[in-house]
Amino acid sequence: MAEVIVAENLIKRYGNFEAVHGIDFSVSEGACFGLLGPNGAGKSTTIRMICCLAEISGGRLSVLGHDAHPGNLMIKRQLGVVSQEDYLDPSLTVRENVELHGRFYGMGYRQAKIRAQDLLVFLQLEDKGREQVRSLSGGMRRRAVIARALMGTPRILILDEPTTGLDPQARLLVWSKIRELKQEGVTILLTTHYMDEAQRLADDLVVIDHGRILERGTPDDLIARVVGTDCLEIAECDPSFGQTLVERIQPLGIISDWQGDSLMLFSSDMDPVLAQLQKEKWLPAQYYRRRASLEDVFLRLTGRDLRE
Amino acid sequence: MNVNQQWRHGALMVFRRNFLSWVKYYRSSILLNFGEPLTNLLALGFGLGAYVATMAGVPFVDFIGPGLLAVTAMNAVTFDMTFEAYDRLNENGIYQAMITAPLTVPQIVAGEYLWEAFRSLLYGSVFLLVLLLLGLVHSWWALVVPLPLLVTGIMFSGPALLVASRARNHEQLFYYFTLVITPMFMFSGVFFPIARLPVLIQDFIVLTPLFHVVNVVRALVLGHLSAGLVWDVVWILGYTVLFSWLPIRSLRRRLTG
Ligand SMILES: Nc1ncnc2c1ncn2[C@@H]1O[C@H](COP(=O)(O)OP(=O)(O)OP(=O)(O)O)[C@@H](O)[C@H]1O
Ligand SMILES: [Mg+2]
Repeated sequence: MAEVIVAENLIKRYGNFEAVHGIDFSVSEGACFGLLGPNGAGKSTTIRMICCLAEISGGRLSVLGHDAHPGNLMIKRQLGVVSQEDYLDPSLTVRENVELHGRFYGMGYRQAKIRAQDLLVFLQLEDKGREQVRSLSGGMRRRAVIARALMGTPRILILDEPTTGLDPQARLLVWSKIRELKQEGVTILLTTHYMDEAQRLADDLVVIDHGRILERGTPDDLIARVVGTDCLEIAECDPSFGQTLVERIQPLGIISDWQGDSLMLFSSDMDPVLAQLQKEKWLPAQYYRRRASLEDVFLRLTGRDLRE
Repeated sequence: MNVNQQWRHGALMVFRRNFLSWVKYYRSSILLNFGEPLTNLLALGFGLGAYVATMAGVPFVDFIGPGLLAVTAMNAVTFDMTFEAYDRLNENGIYQAMITAPLTVPQIVAGEYLWEAFRSLLYGSVFLLVLLLLGLVHSWWALVVPLPLLVTGIMFSGPALLVASRARNHEQLFYYFTLVITPMFMFSGVFFPIARLPVLIQDFIVLTPLFHVVNVVRALVLGHLSAGLVWDVVWILGYTVLFSWLPIRSLRRRLTG
C-alpha cells in the first residue's frame, strides 16, 4: 500500500526549545495510525506540521506526495482536521458551522447543505442542527467538530484527541464512525490518551515522548515485544515485598513495572512464574491475572513521572 | 473553478461567516454604533451650535454632520477589527478553524476587509440618511458618499487588525483607541477646520487618514467640491494599499507559527 504521510528526521523548534526531535514514521493509505505519548510529547505539534499549520524546522515531511508547509493547499484540500481544541463558532448554529466549513472547501450553497445534513445524521446530531454551539454538551461539540472535518470529503482524517471528555456511549459512537470511515478507505491519523481506544482502532502506532519516537508497531506486536502478553497484577503491593519478589523470579526473564502502588509482572507466559512462586510460598494472597494491554506498554515506555 | 475564482470564493466565505454572525446581533450592534455619533451630532450640533453659529462659513451643525459620518464609519470598522477580531483570534478560534480548511491568511484578511467595507458602507449610509432627515444634506453629490465609505472601510481595517493580532489582552486594544483613534477624532477637522492650528500640527494632521476622509465626505454632503479633493482621494487610496498588508505577517505568525 502507498504511504500517504512520510516523515523523515522531522524536527520542530519553538525558539530554542525542540518540541519534535527528528522523528521518522510513515502512514499507509487506508490505515488507522495512532500517535501516542504523554502530555507535551509533541503529538499536536507533529499534527500541526502535517496539517500545514506550522513550518517544519528540519527534516522532511511529505503528505499525499507533497511537501508539507504552511498554506500548501494541495495537501489541505485533501485533509479533514479535528484539532485538539474545538474552535466551533459560538455565534453560529451547529448546522451553520458545518455548512460554512464545507464552503471553505469550495463547495456551493446547495452542495454544502446536503452534505452537512448527511454528516449531522452520520454523527447523530440531526436534531441539534439548529442549536447554538454554546448550548451543546462536550460530547456533542466533539461530534460536531468531526462532522465539520468531514465536509471536505478528506482522504486523510486527522483526529487530535477526538474522544477526550466523551462519555462511554459517545465514545462508542465515535469509534464505530471511525471504523466506517476506514472501511470507505479514509486514512486516519489518531492521537489519544486512551490506550484502549488506540488498541481497538489503530493498525499501526508510534509512542513518542519528549519529541522522540520510543517504539512503533501494531498494538499486538508492541504488547508482545515491550512487555509480553501475560500479566500478573498485584494491587496495593508493599514496595519491599514487591522488590524481593521481583528479585526471586528475575531468572525467569520476567519484566516488572510499578503502576502507582500496583506491581505488574509481565511475560509471554506467566504459568512457570506462578508455579515457582507457589512452590516457594511467595505467591501473594491477592493477585489478578490478565492479558497485558497497550496501557502497560505505554507506562513501561514513558515511565511513571507526571508531565508538565 | 479556476485558481482565481477559488481564491475569491474563499474570501467571500469569510465575509459570509461575519454576515451570518452579524444578522443575529445587528439590532444591538446598530445602537452601539449610532448612539455615540448621534449624541455628538445632537448635543454639539444643536446645543453648542446655538452659540457657535457658523464654522468655516456654514452652520455649525452642517459642518460637523459629515465629519461625524466619517467618524461613524471609522469607529464601526475599528471596533470590529479590534475587539471582535481579537476574540475571533484569541477566544473563539474562528481564524484557527478557517485555516484548517483550505483557506490562506491573505484570503482570511481579504474576507475581513470586504466585511469591513460593507460595515463602513452600511453604518455610514444610515448616518447619511439621518443627516438627510435632519435637513443637513445640501447636494446631490451626497449620493457618491458610499464610494469613499467602501474604500475607507478597508483603509481603517489594516492597522486595527494588526493591533488585534498583536495584542495580548483587551486592555492593549484600548491603547489603540486612546493613542490613535481618539486624537484623530478630535483633530481631523471634524469639529473645526485645522487651518488655525500651529503649522507643524497641521502638517502632521495631513499625514493622518481620517482628515482626508472628513474632507471628501464633507465636500460631497455640502456640495463644496474643489480640485484639492483629488489629493485627499490620492492619500486615501495610498493609505488603503499601504495599510492592507500590515496584518498579514503577524496574523500568519499567530496562525501558522
Ligand atoms: N506555540 C508554541 N510555542 C512554544 N512551545 C510550544 C508551542 N506549542 C507547543 N509547545 C511545546 O511543545 C511541546 C509539545 O507540545 P504538543 O502540544 O505537541 O504536545 P502534545 O503531545 O500534543 O501534548 P497533549 O497530550 O498535552 O496535547 C510542549 O512542551 C509544549 O509546551
Ligand atoms: Mg496535543
